[in-house]
Amino acid sequence: MIETATHIEFIIGTEKRLTDIISRAEIEPLLRSLIKAGPLSASVLDEAEQPLCRQGQDAPVPPSDEIRHNLLVEGEPKGALLITFAPDQVSAPEALALLTRDALQLIINNNLKRMLTTEVHTSVVQESYDQLVATNKQLMESEKKYRQLALSLEQQVAERTAELQKAYSRMLQQEKLAAVGGLAAGMAHEINNPNGFVRSNLVTCNRYFQKVHEMVNYYQLQIANNTPLMQLQQESDKKRRELKLDFVFADAPDLLAQSIAGSDRIARIVADLKSFSHVDESGAADADLNEELKRTLAVLAPQIPADAQIIQNLQPLPTFDCNPGLLSQSFFNVLQNALQSRSAGLVVTVASRSDDGGIKITISDNGCGIARENLPRLFEPFYTSKEVGSGTGMGLTIARDIITGAGGTLEITSTEHSGTTATILLPHGAGKR
Amino acid sequence: MIEFDEQQKRMVLKLVYYGPAMSGKTTNLLTLHDQLSLQGRGELMLLDTTEDRTIYFDLLPFFYVAPSGMKIKLKVYTVPGQVRHDATRKAVLQRADGVVFVADSQTAGMSINFESFDNLEKNLSMVGLSIEHIPLVIQFNKRDLTDIVAEEQIRSAWGPTGLPVLMASALKGWGVLETFKEVLGRTFDAVNARHALTSRFGVDKEDFLTTILTVADDV
Ligand SMILES: Nc1nc2c(ncn2[C@@H]2O[C@H](COP(=O)(O)OP(=O)(O)OP(=O)(O)O)[C@@H](O)[C@H]2O)c(=O)[nH]1
Ligand SMILES: [Mg+2]
Repeated sequence: MIETATHIEFIIGTEKRLTDIISRAEIEPLLRSLIKAGPLSASVLDEAEQPLCRQGQDAPVPPSDEIRHNLLVEGEPKGALLITFAPDQVSAPEALALLTRDALQLIINNNLKRMLTTEVHTSVVQESYDQLVATNKQLMESEKKYRQLALSLEQQVAERTAELQKAYSRMLQQEKLAAVGGLAAGMAHEINNPNGFVRSNLVTCNRYFQKVHEMVNYYQLQIANNTPLMQLQQESDKKRRELKLDFVFADAPDLLAQSIAGSDRIARIVADLKSFSHVDESGAADADLNEELKRTLAVLAPQIPADAQIIQNLQPLPTFDCNPGLLSQSFFNVLQNALQSRSAGLVVTVASRSDDGGIKITISDNGCGIARENLPRLFEPFYTSKEVGSGTGMGLTIARDIITGAGGTLEITSTEHSGTTATILLPHGAGKR
Repeated sequence: MIEFDEQQKRMVLKLVYYGPAMSGKTTNLLTLHDQLSLQGRGELMLLDTTEDRTIYFDLLPFFYVAPSGMKIKLKVYTVPGQVRHDATRKAVLQRADGVVFVADSQTAGMSINFESFDNLEKNLSMVGLSIEHIPLVIQFNKRDLTDIVAEEQIRSAWGPTGLPVLMASALKGWGVLETFKEVLGRTFDAVNARHALTSRFGVDKEDFLTTILTVADDV
């Protein structure tokens, strides 16, 4: 047995002395009984011939006989039983001695068995304990590792979220750009048209002006030459006809009036765009949502099919505290979908009203509708039913984000082949962003 | 080696019967106990078992005194073969001087034999012993049964290891003494090589073997 600071280690099989195995208290009753049967003395001696236990007379007086039997530990003599008795005093002394030896040997063997069992048990328990300690240590270490991991995970999640948010606002920006791009194409056409005839009118007016100039020069020259009045009258009439000045004077005012109207039209388009995009404003403002709807429709005008019918049913609304630029962006996205839902015979109804629940805006069309299986995916980012390249798939996602951000809801109901209705609900007092 | 006391001229050696559960380790010891004479051997000690399966170990001790006075005690142990008693196997294996690996010859037992042999190799190294160097004898037991792996097959599988392989039926009582003699001789040689048992302590191998292997009169 090796005892160290932390635990006891048994080497199975280490040698034991007799005194390790049996104690005086165990042997004594046996020897005492033996003496009662007649022997003078009985002792158990250890390896060194020292008595472990002794009963009977201290010094047996001769003449006395002696019987000695070895006691074995694992087959090896490790002690002895010594019995003395007076000659002929004891009947069958040898049988008595053997009986005692066998009893002692039995105690020794059983004790040894118990000790060996204890040794294995102890060493196994010790090993299990050591293993437990080691496992525990490992567990604690891995727990520490996981805790650190969890901490850094949180950080990673935060970083990712920030990245995502950045990516999302880039996305939003791109969606806006796409909308603006679409708008720009329509607007270019709208502006080019009046601009075209304004320019052509101005070119014509320039030519007219040169004719007038030439006429005036002619008069000045004739006056300087003191051309007689009669002659001047005749010749200038001729000149006037040559220059077709009568036509010029009749046409010029029309051209100019037309040009002024054209210029006004351009001015109105620009104003619509400006007010739709709210470029001059920033942040929250009290908005009239009907105005926003009208402006949105105005900027979308170039995208409205020629035969389409737009029904506006706009009831008076209380002002809504919001970021009007953002909100009109969401109207734009929803309206654009409605306008693209059908090419011929399109009817779009834009309605608004206010009741106790809040402001309710509905935009319905009689267009192609949305297949039932696609309805759940409507608000998924990048989901689009349009042809590749014609939509980012972010329109409705962004529209809903904006409306939710303003404290409202956007819901879409649709029946395939018969039409779609978008319902925007904005509770009173919501908004403020 | 459990103990070596040069002054006292005492040496305590340890042999271990290793192998999978139910391969017949305990039966080997029972047979040795029955066949060898009581002279020079102690009683077989079977520590508690549950339904015949060893849970601690079995021990059969021998005690030899050379004419020179050198005392050699030999303790022969079995380990519990069941997988769950690995800690006990390890404890018993400490300081072993020789090992008998008792394999089960039945065809169904082959993979379990290999698992147990791997376990022996692992546990030997865990207690600081090496399967390369320790005297090791393989016994294929239960040769009396019918559904067993053919001897040629066993020899061709184990031949390359160079280890002695013996066939036995511990139940019928043959091959057991031969196995014991083989491992005893090899263990003696190994100890002799390290501690000069013969030249310094006057221990004769033949006398040692024949004394311990003295067959009981009534067998
Ligand atoms: N037929 C046959 N049966 C055997 C032989 N040797 C052992 N057995 C039987 O196999 C069973 C297990 O034998 P044990 O000696 O207890 O096996 P063990 O290796 O000590 O098993 P554990 O203590 O669990 O590791 C017993 O029923 C034995 O009678 C043999 O040579 N032939
Ligand atoms: Mg057993």
